[in-house]
Amino acid sequence: MTPAFLSIRDLRQTYGSFVAVDDVSLEIPEGEFLTFLGPSGSGKSTTLYALAGFNEPTSGDILLKGASILATPSHKRNIGMVFQRYTLFPHLNVRENVAFPLRVRGQAEREIAARVDQMLALVQLDAFADRMPGNLSGGQQQRVALARALAYDPPVLLMDEPLSALDKKLREEIQIEIRRIHRETGVTILYVTHDQEEALRLSDRIAVFNRGRIEQVGSGRDLYHNPATRFVAGFIGDSNFLDTAEVAVSGDRGRVVFPDGTAMGDLPVHRSAPGGGATAAQVMVRPQSLRLAAAGLPVRVLDVTFLGDTSTVQFRTGWGQEIWMRAGAEEIAGLSPDATAHLGWTAGESHLFV
Amino acid sequence: MLLTYRHLGGLGVALWAVTILVCLFLLVPIVFIAALSFGSSQWLVFPPPSWTLRWYRELAADPRWLEAALTSAKVGLLSAALAVLLALMASFALVRGRFRGRGLLRALFLTPMVLPVIVFAVAIYALFLRVGLNGTLVGFVLAHTVLAFPFAVIPIVNSLEGFDKSIEDAAVLCGASPLQAKLKITLPAIRIGLFSAAVFAFLISWDEVVVAIFMASPDLQTLPVRIWGALRQDLSPVIAAASTILVAFTLLVMAAAALLRRRISR
Repeated sequence: MTPAFLSIRDLRQTYGSFVAVDDVSLEIPEGEFLTFLGPSGSGKSTTLYALAGFNEPTSGDILLKGASILATPSHKRNIGMVFQRYTLFPHLNVRENVAFPLRVRGQAEREIAARVDQMLALVQLDAFADRMPGNLSGGQQQRVALARALAYDPPVLLMDEPLSALDKKLREEIQIEIRRIHRETGVTILYVTHDQEEALRLSDRIAVFNRGRIEQVGSGRDLYHNPATRFVAGFIGDSNFLDTAEVAVSGDRGRVVFPDGTAMGDLPVHRSAPGGGATAAQVMVRPQSLRLAAAGLPVRVLDVTFLGDTSTVQFRTGWGQEIWMRAGAEEIAGLSPDATAHLGWTAGESHLFV
Repeated sequence: MLLTYRHLGGLGVALWAVTILVCLFLLVPIVFIAALSFGSSQWLVFPPPSWTLRWYRELAADPRWLEAALTSAKVGLLSAALAVLLALMASFALVRGRFRGRGLLRALFLTPMVLPVIVFAVAIYALFLRVGLNGTLVGFVLAHTVLAFPFAVIPIVNSLEGFDKSIEDAAVLCGASPLQAKLKITLPAIRIGLFSAAVFAFLISWDEVVVAIFMASPDLQTLPVRIWGALRQDLSPVIAAASTILVAFTLLVMAAAALLRRRISR
């Protein structure tokens, strides 16, 4: 097997007794857009910083094209990075900011000028070449930062929550732009975010981080339809977790009895990773997988909320758990608080975590 | 607002009066000195019987005055340069460093500002006596560097604290070595702080007299020391002329600094 373009192997980062990154391994092919998704403190930024060379891993290795980069200091790694905060050099104009990495590499003036023009065209800021960073909007500043990070043709581009300071509309605009730039340049991108929608929108693959570990790596579809762990199921998309009273597993299918006696069979089974905490078995079902049915799980309506395109309904099960459903207005037309109903769903759309 | 000027009534008038009195208190001695330096009276009679430039001519005719002014400028510039350099390194440690006793070190760096000058003067005189630095340019510069240091540390620490370290990190990832990144990105970004530090440090040295008296020798005197010495010999309007030049130069430095600062901050 040929080594992957970029390999992270058993990367571990501890601070005293705190384990920030816990044996993370990833193989990343050239040209991939991979997102590290996870809550704050899950180790995703720490992993990215190890790639940038800003912190020295406690153990493990990072290989680029088969060679370890850990011994190479940051400024010789030739890696591009866009930071969470605005990092344009405040005393240099846009053109000089983008030219900076080329100047420190001692390139000829003419080459620099041509490359800077090309990069500014890429991020569509040609008209702003002579502006000072202080006279740019946040979105423009991050686009210049992107142009600067790509100017020297780095094999890998790191992006550490670059859009978190921007408002939602602008964020979506720049997400589209980042996708386009990824397509046009073919650069390998490692992107850190805590925003699942951003991750789904941008990435080829997503690595879900939790407590310093990677819970699952896969495409957005994979993670959504086949979550490997409870955490992934809860983090990607909306979800309901239902307690169970009895569980019988045979092969990769399981049969459960809910605390109120309702039974359900043929559920896809997911085993929690060893050491993942021995909690009781739960059934996960998405709010949009739930249907009103003639027979099924008996519930009582708590509240109905109209949200335009869809509505949500809050229910309480016989054993007191809350569960919610998302549905079109006509489907739930007859429901009002305190009414009783039965909920059903296709077994294959739910997941049994044991 | 409860305490707007408009609602003060009679109290407003009193405030004005106090303000004017304070300004007069600060300015009148300087104005008097300047006026007397142009007066014809040998005995500093006020108001002057007539006006003359005689004292300035005498001042110019005596090479010791020019020498003292040059010494002052030399000591001031060297102390300022040294203080800014040291303060820059100290500021990186104070702002970026993560070590025990950082707060204590910061307080220590500011002690020359609060320590009674005479105590410091005697101490450094005693020390320099052992190493033979009294009466030398090096001794002068070192002593004034210590005095100017806290005034250089404060603006540099402030501007470095306002500078996002990520910007320097970005420069490093762009391919600049950590030193290059500091020289090409961080220093230009905090240039206003550096500039303020240099101006403060220079002015601290420029009009310092207590430590300077201890450091001075008959051959090496700064302008304030020369004024002090001349005053003790005889009260001549030449001293008023020298003082006026001292004040005028200080004002000039401050005005130039204000203009320059506005230009570099754009």
